[in-house]
Amino acid sequence: MRILFFAQLKDVTGCDAVELSPPSPLNCEQLWTMLLEKFPGLRGHRGNVRLTRNWEYADADAQFTNTDEVALIPPVSGG
Amino acid sequence: MEIEVQLTGSPIAEKISPPRLAAHGAWLEFRGAVRDEENGKKISGLEYEAYPEMAVREIRRIIESLAVTHPCLAAKVIHRVGLIPVGEAAIYVGIASRHRAEAIALLGEFMNHLKQGVPIWKRRALPIGARLSQPQHVETLKPAAAGASHTAALRSLDEVISEIQSRCQPLPGLHAPLAEVFGRVLRETVCAPGDLPPVDRSTRDGYAILNGDESENYQVVDTLHAAGWKPRQLKPGEAVRVATGASLPCENLRVVMQESVERTGNQIRIVRHESATNISLRGEDLRAGEPLLHGGTMLNAGALAILATAGHVNPLVSPRLRVLHFTTGDEIVPPDQTPKPGQIRDSNSVLIRGLLQNVPCDLRLAHLPEDFEQAKLLVSAFSLQPSAFDLLLVSGGASVGEKDFTHPLLEWLGFEIAFSQVNVRPGRPLILGVKDSRVAFGLPGNPLSHFVCFHFAVATALARMTGGAPPKFLRGRLADKLDDKPCPRETLWPAKLEISPDATVRLHPLAWANSGNVACLASANALVRVPANTGPVEQFAVVDFLPLTAMLGE
Repeated sequence: MRILFFAQLKDVTGCDAVELSPPSPLNCEQLWTMLLEKFPGLRGHRGNVRLTRNWEYADADAQFTNTDEVALIPPVSGG
Repeated sequence: MEIEVQLTGSPIAEKISPPRLAAHGAWLEFRGAVRDEENGKKISGLEYEAYPEMAVREIRRIIESLAVTHPCLAAKVIHRVGLIPVGEAAIYVGIASRHRAEAIALLGEFMNHLKQGVPIWKRRALPIGARLSQPQHVETLKPAAAGASHTAALRSLDEVISEIQSRCQPLPGLHAPLAEVFGRVLRETVCAPGDLPPVDRSTRDGYAILNGDESENYQVVDTLHAAGWKPRQLKPGEAVRVATGASLPCENLRVVMQESVERTGNQIRIVRHESATNISLRGEDLRAGEPLLHGGTMLNAGALAILATAGHVNPLVSPRLRVLHFTTGDEIVPPDQTPKPGQIRDSNSVLIRGLLQNVPCDLRLAHLPEDFEQAKLLVSAFSLQPSAFDLLLVSGGASVGEKDFTHPLLEWLGFEIAFSQVNVRPGRPLILGVKDSRVAFGLPGNPLSHFVCFHFAVATALARMTGGAPPKFLRGRLADKLDDKPCPRETLWPAKLEISPDATVRLHPLAWANSGNVACLASANALVRVPANTGPVEQFAVVDFLPLTAMLGE
């Protein structure tokens, strides 16, 4: 799965995207565990970050699979 | 309701025309501009960043949901991204509705929702007096590889097509809901999950009786509509009233049309004997496990209906492509402006939008300034994330003039140049760059060449990337003489294809003096292939041609 970072999260992770290939689908909790292991700096942002799956905000019970495009959305400020 | 959403790296036009709708009484426009201070500090500009694919969808979704309570006829939203100087608009919203109150209410709520949930960010503020500094990830310009003879060599049409096919890779497929996959390419073979129809069904309104039951009178013991199924073993002398499409209560029945019986109370008598059983047998259309659709199929309306019938609601399909189109050159002005001497209107942006109409993609358009450093700044603010685009098209700026920069721009973006010269007319210059799964084309700036290169080169890449069938040359007969002079380059000659009453293909060559001649664009729907050094081709000669309609993913 392709995971995208935006805005200040790019500075936190030092990249704008990462590819992960978990062996089986992940729920939100499992995805966060995997992300925090790779990017511990994300820990302080977790409370403000929403996850998306294939260009839609993910529900709490979403399952993330290898073909999904996932993004971490920090608080937005468009307009 | 018509909703148009754009993210753009260019300034938002000063004047935007309202939609041409007879019913709208109100056309409300709003522009949000960058203020001269941010968090109490004076600034000279703001840099915006977006998650384009999602931002476009969210904006659309918000408008659709708000329109339920505030009826709206049309909406247009443009959000600018990248560096925006103070005073210039970051967002434009236009709303057409029957009455002003609906448009005003919708606009207010829309802006609130936008600021809460649409993935667009003010990335950084530029302090007053600061130069627009380069983002950190911008590398310095690498000089074009000198003496790279393999890219400099002139490619024939066949070489170009096969090079594109070998250099472009299918993008990874993903599962998407049926409502979003029209026009995409199926990436799996879908088999029938069960027999179709799943049980025997009646093809007539009438009465089901046991096949071979010769009773004089029948007792009507039940009634079945198309939606219900009540299994029941019929006995001789029993009948069940059935509607067309109704699932029959058991096997080994036949249906007597209602016109062939006399009914008295709950009794029927057959007055006219028929040989047909009037039954569609279980599995008659498809047996469980039989392939319904093969991988590589372009999902048209019929294919979607089949997937829905099979309950295959999240098929594995090609991704929605992210396409960036840059126009270049300071001589280009927007189509609503009057060109000064030496300037021309930009027609390629709208041309490419039309050409990509049938390709599920998110297209972003921008104009690059001629100054290379300025252009790099804009491109970097716009598109350097690896996920920003799958296909980059750069219009103009690809020949060898001093100001041309497509070649160095693509190299600066990390693309490997596969070729930069083709021996095809009209079509020079054409550049192919590849970087992992991403593809970039430098396309000629004049519209006819742009059009021709799209159809033989970009369409080939699109087919590869989506996993669909590539454009294919067919054979047809010239309806008129093709009046060419011998040319050392192979030619793709614009033509109008017609199907004659006897169902044969007739190709009318269109007049075009040179590649800047756009008059034939509107009627061209085929490209006739004229080998190098051919000269005129006589009327009725058999030629190879590329059809230009419905060719992608067929």
